[in-house]
Amino acid sequence: MSGQTTFDAIVVGSGITGGWAAKELTEKGLKTLVLEAGRPIVPEQDYVEHVPEWEMRFRGMGDRRKLAEDQPIQSTCYACDEWSSKFFIKDKEHPYTTDRGKPFNWIRGRQVGGRSITWGRQSYRWSDLDFEANLREGIAVDWPIRYADIAPWYDYVEEFAGISGEALGLAQLPDSKFLPGMDLNCTERFVRQELAKHFGGERVLTIGRAAILTQDHLGRAACHYCGPCERGCITRSYFSSLNATLPAAEKTGRMTLRPFSVVHGISFDSKSRRATGVRVIDSRTRSTIEFRAKVVFLCASTLESVRILFNSATPEFSSGLANSSGELGHNLMDHIMAGGARAIIPGNEDRLEIGRRPNGTYMPRFRNVKSKHPEFLRGYGFQGGGYREGWSRGISQPGFGAEFKKSLRQPGPWCFSFYGFGECLPNHSNYVELDKEKVDAWGIPALKIHCAWGENELAIRKDMSIAAAEMLAAVSGRDIEPFTGDDPPGLGIHEMGTARMGRDPKTSVLNSFSQAHDVKNLFITDGSIMTSSSCVNPSLTYMALTARACDYAVQQMKNGEI
Amino acid sequence: MDSSRDLILPLDLSEREGREFGNIEFTKTSQNQSSSMQRRDVLRLLATGAALQLAPHKLFAVMREVRSFVHGQPMPRTLNAHQFATVKAMAEMILPRTDTPGATDVGVAEFIDLILTEWYDESERNRFLAGLADVDSRSNSLFGKELTGCTEPQQSQILSALGEKMVEDQDARQRTRMLSTSNETDFYPMLRQLTLTAYYTSEAGATQELHFEIIPGVYQGCNESSPIKEARDQK
Repeated sequence: MSGQTTFDAIVVGSGITGGWAAKELTEKGLKTLVLEAGRPIVPEQDYVEHVPEWEMRFRGMGDRRKLAEDQPIQSTCYACDEWSSKFFIKDKEHPYTTDRGKPFNWIRGRQVGGRSITWGRQSYRWSDLDFEANLREGIAVDWPIRYADIAPWYDYVEEFAGISGEALGLAQLPDSKFLPGMDLNCTERFVRQELAKHFGGERVLTIGRAAILTQDHLGRAACHYCGPCERGCITRSYFSSLNATLPAAEKTGRMTLRPFSVVHGISFDSKSRRATGVRVIDSRTRSTIEFRAKVVFLCASTLESVRILFNSATPEFSSGLANSSGELGHNLMDHIMAGGARAIIPGNEDRLEIGRRPNGTYMPRFRNVKSKHPEFLRGYGFQGGGYREGWSRGISQPGFGAEFKKSLRQPGPWCFSFYGFGECLPNHSNYVELDKEKVDAWGIPALKIHCAWGENELAIRKDMSIAAAEMLAAVSGRDIEPFTGDDPPGLGIHEMGTARMGRDPKTSVLNSFSQAHDVKNLFITDGSIMTSSSCVNPSLTYMALTARACDYAVQQMKNGEI
Repeated sequence: MDSSRDLILPLDLSEREGREFGNIEFTKTSQNQSSSMQRRDVLRLLATGAALQLAPHKLFAVMREVRSFVHGQPMPRTLNAHQFATVKAMAEMILPRTDTPGATDVGVAEFIDLILTEWYDESERNRFLAGLADVDSRSNSLFGKELTGCTEPQQSQILSALGEKMVEDQDARQRTRMLSTSNETDFYPMLRQLTLTAYYTSEAGATQELHFEIIPGVYQGCNESSPIKEARDQK
């Protein structure tokens, strides 16, 4: 590592948005320092997607005691398993507090690539149904952008990332620039046909739109269907910073990537009212280093970026840098999940899936699209899909012996499940602040999170299980099991909204280009920028808004505005 | 069944060594004509530093093997010899050796001992061990001997009774789902869960029994040519 401390740009974080900022800024000619709090990742050593269960000590059941000790919160995420728990933080090193009875599961990854290594890869465009919702309903503040503003940037990031899926021409879920979609399985084809008959085109089942390559693309190989993407991908078939954007940034020769760099705060010059750089604690030596740059991009994640701004308070911004609005840390949202249903779908018993498709089906939002639902605003989409029961069905069967063993050689009946992802309304009283009593392993003040689902979210969750069961009944499902879980906020891992965009500096932190109203050379482009939450997975939108912000920032620099 | 092997080797390590190290290019100091590497060779490689000359992924394989060697426990740690023999007998009855390996071949009882020792909490462990003791009580009252001393039909009778009770409990739980506060699993479903997990996640269980492939290379959502049968015929 060179001793250089001055750059054109600093990007804080190397996850989905930090990777995009690194690529865009370096490709536009800026010497860019990318700061990552965690360790470097070497794909050849750290990726474990091809390590089979029999090479794992607990055969995939996880080291339960170690997880309970080191990662009690992280291990509530499905991906934090015996293979991938190393891509999640140790909870003890990263404390935060919540109100009694109001849990918030904050799931985090600190390493080069951040959570883009373990993300779910589902990629959907927003529509004007989403961008106009706050204005239409008089909730929170209006988005300062519309679909037309972001559409070319969706095109741009999709062409690089590679999104597989099926074009449907739906207004509420615009099509991406798709690579061919993955195959639907027998039961999914059947359910799709039957739903079309019963719901007259209002409820459409399609293959999940996923940032996974179905053909070779820009030097990355097509998926080989091994299954567990969250353990890494040596053929770089799914999109992540490590697999795609950071190598592109590296190729420009203008990126300096510095791992083990925990950003404590942003330095601010009162006279010019500009950020001058960032203060970093080296996590290995614990020494403090200051880096300087003309422009700073915060891509540290929804809650970490806000924590950095709180910890960067100055005399003129005593409640957090760039927080003249008082909205910093407020309006925290996540998607509400855990409502749905599953059933056995008779038929096709002589047919099989070959390969393990790391993707399911998607049903775009159908509530409050054409007609108004009496019990809640906005809506939800269903993920899920068809599958055959495997050997584990034998656990609850009484059989034993050679015949029993032989019966488990064949897969069990086909099943189908719907699993809802619902929109969460922005609510000023869901917020985070610094906890004066608590610091992390590097002495940096920690967050206190105040967040709970509102009535609208709970009504959405309830409707998910009812609508899902109704559809499974319509397609002649057997043993229909509706379910509603009680997942706390956070576990959707779509936390967003804590430094929202808006038209008015008095009620929002960022303008329409993710630029801080108060500090012109400070940009935030992670999930904190979101003014509302839609019901679709947000990462694709973060990517597009990051690329758009980078383009704007570089224009502003050329024009001498920054 | 070769029971002596189980006490010496953890799981199916002997099979794995040959498979895993078969394609390692050994350095000149460790010529190995049989292409099957012994543990002492692994340790010698590490001791001499020769392993460091291996390509990273091969070094990784060596380290993995050493790890499993160091962690491997030749003797059960929670189960005593009699309990171990009972678990082993029950697991083999559930998933016997047929044209493919059975529970004993893949070390199911060893895995169960590992889970009892390192994974279960105290109450689960106690419940499992109490249930295991109850198996002998049943067989003693029915046949005047412990399960391991029973004839095969007698053992089957006991397993059938345990299975019936399990299904009754499941049905009862289903009926009273709204009222039930207990999530505690009983011994027999615990044993079945661990037995099936250990078997189907073993190399033989996954690859020989279920034809699991690490890298399928393709995805076909609705294959019509009954590939289970075809794949079996090809082997």
